[in-house]
Amino acid sequence: MSEITQAQITELLCQRLVHFTNAEAEISAETNLITHLAIDSVKLLNLIMEIEDQFDISVPLNALVDVLTVQDLADLIYKIKSSS
Amino acid sequence: MSSIIAKLGVPPAQEGDSLSSEANAALTAPTPTMNLLGQRRADFATLVESLEYAAQGQTGYNFYDAKGNLKAVLSYKDLCINSKILARRLSGLGLTRNSRVALIADTTPEFVELFFACRFAGLVPFAMPVPVNLGSRAIYVQQLKGMLESSGASVAIANPDFIELLDEVVENLGRSELKWSGTPEQLNLLPEADVVLHPNSPDETAYLQFTSGSTRLPRGVVITERALMTNLRGIVCTGLDVRPGDRCASWLPFYHDMGLVGLVLAPLAAQLSVDYLATRDFAVRPLQWLKLISRNRCTIAFSQPFGLKLCTLRARDSDLADLDLSCWRAAGVGAEMIRLDTLQSFSAKFSAAGFNERAFLPCYGLAESTLAVSFPDINQGVKSLRVDAKTLIEKKVAVRVQADGRKFNEFVNCGRPLPGHEIRIVDDADREVPHLAVGSILVKGGSVMKGYFNNAEETARAIRSDGWLDTGDIGFLFEGDLYITGRRTDVIIVNGRNIRAQDVEELAEQQPEVRTREASAFGISNEDGSTSVVLVVECRLASATDRQTLINRLQQMVYMAFGVSCLVELVPPHTLPRTSSGKLSRFAARQGFLKRANMEQSAATVYTVG
Repeated sequence: MSEITQAQITELLCQRLVHFTNAEAEISAETNLITHLAIDSVKLLNLIMEIEDQFDISVPLNALVDVLTVQDLADLIYKIKSSS
Repeated sequence: MSSIIAKLGVPPAQEGDSLSSEANAALTAPTPTMNLLGQRRADFATLVESLEYAAQGQTGYNFYDAKGNLKAVLSYKDLCINSKILARRLSGLGLTRNSRVALIADTTPEFVELFFACRFAGLVPFAMPVPVNLGSRAIYVQQLKGMLESSGASVAIANPDFIELLDEVVENLGRSELKWSGTPEQLNLLPEADVVLHPNSPDETAYLQFTSGSTRLPRGVVITERALMTNLRGIVCTGLDVRPGDRCASWLPFYHDMGLVGLVLAPLAAQLSVDYLATRDFAVRPLQWLKLISRNRCTIAFSQPFGLKLCTLRARDSDLADLDLSCWRAAGVGAEMIRLDTLQSFSAKFSAAGFNERAFLPCYGLAESTLAVSFPDINQGVKSLRVDAKTLIEKKVAVRVQADGRKFNEFVNCGRPLPGHEIRIVDDADREVPHLAVGSILVKGGSVMKGYFNNAEETARAIRSDGWLDTGDIGFLFEGDLYITGRRTDVIIVNGRNIRAQDVEELAEQQPEVRTREASAFGISNEDGSTSVVLVVECRLASATDRQTLINRLQQMVYMAFGVSCLVELVPPHTLPRTSSGKLSRFAARQGFLKRANMEQSAATVYTVG
């Protein structure tokens, strides 16, 4: 897989997240995963599985404690991706 | 360990650091199922005695990664050797006997080694959770801080994944008895003290078990060696009727009583091999657990109903072809209310993969009674009782439904108390009620805790002067078998997590806009059988923006603390019902909420909770 940029990750995430919410809410990098998208534990696990499959990485749980927004999550994926 | 997986492709630096993996340079095979050593079924006086015996055989613990590859093997023999070395290193810290040692409990060989090292050194270990929720740093740090303070821990240990979080906790500790904190690798740099490791006595505390994700009032259950061994004997001999050829598989967290007592200590006490999958890896890919059972021909594996649900949800028909679950003879289910349909959907799905529904073993227990209280007979499958819904609510009596067409509730039979234990159902006035009458479940017997550590008040609330433990659960007895009908309103169980209503309310009360005693939290059941947390707050804010900001903040805080979405309702002051003593009544608050929600169902902002 060719190098993926941080912006591309953010865009992909926004697209994927649409499927996780019933709301018509606009999803951007600043969207708060908890208050805006209501990502609960079950949805979170589904999301992580999709991310892991899509980006071929493994997301460690300890890293999620600092993730609040789509941007935070994109940064984390980029960090894991570029260090692997 | 999750970070080991994250770093695939980079040489896994942590592997070589573990004591346990030194012997595993060529990691090819897990420990065997069959043992050349004769089986002894938990007839030991102490935990280390159990380990000393198991160490003479070939069995042990095996750790698998997210892809199902064997990552580490820790035979009971190596565990015994390694934990004694660690015990001598811990002894060098000059701690008094029975000092507490806090361990962040990821599913790793290091945790088990440290746990036993503490017992060899006469120290009291306790497992702390790993963080699992988005954005939960602040609350997680707060939670660990509460545990370190309430236990008066002298040592705290976290693996490299979590050490940065632990360091933050340690920096925030005020006056504390903490003498040392670090990683297992750092502990390995300490010298081995030249000491004799004294045997433990049955009256000594074996470990503490913290209950629920409480943020401000963590309660550490004190379990003695005697209580532990009593419970293990009950599980091994009566509950599971363990025999040679048994093998266990588990994804349950080591910081939960069912994971630690049921699937770490009980197998050891019967010298069984266990195959572990980290909780996180199970949660993301639940089928790995079933694959492990199938591949290694495991016979015993436990789960919360929620775990079974995840398997059912995620399995595709194409997955079933590769599975052979016919080996699974004891499929224990516990740790939360068991709904019949969860079990039925699971067996409907996996019978095609050889799963035998008679393997289901729905049981009842709680950390305050070490783990297990009651088990049904092995190999009978799930039995249940249909009771008339109306009589149950109005008269608090379970009447079996005879005629068709009546509305009913169906409750799962959780079996009989373990030998040496008794169950009693009492009404609000503490009088024992007849069979089929619903009331509070009390338990008495050798597995019951000594109390909550350093917390006489909570202990007195839980254990009556005559030795009966109030479980906080509601149910009835029928023909000697226990049926759970619910919990009292002070605990909300969502997706297998116990959430104390008080903790949710306290979070709300920490907000400047919310006054003390003006928030009420409770659970409501959704149509699909899941539970939602509802938080009703009396609010004086007039501006719609301010109100929305408060709602968002409360939802975010509840999520970060407990990992669940929460429905927040703001109501005018004096809406919440109070008792004559001025205390909030959660039961009445819930009734009021349901009434309002029905009337305003269409107008209310519905917040989806999965």
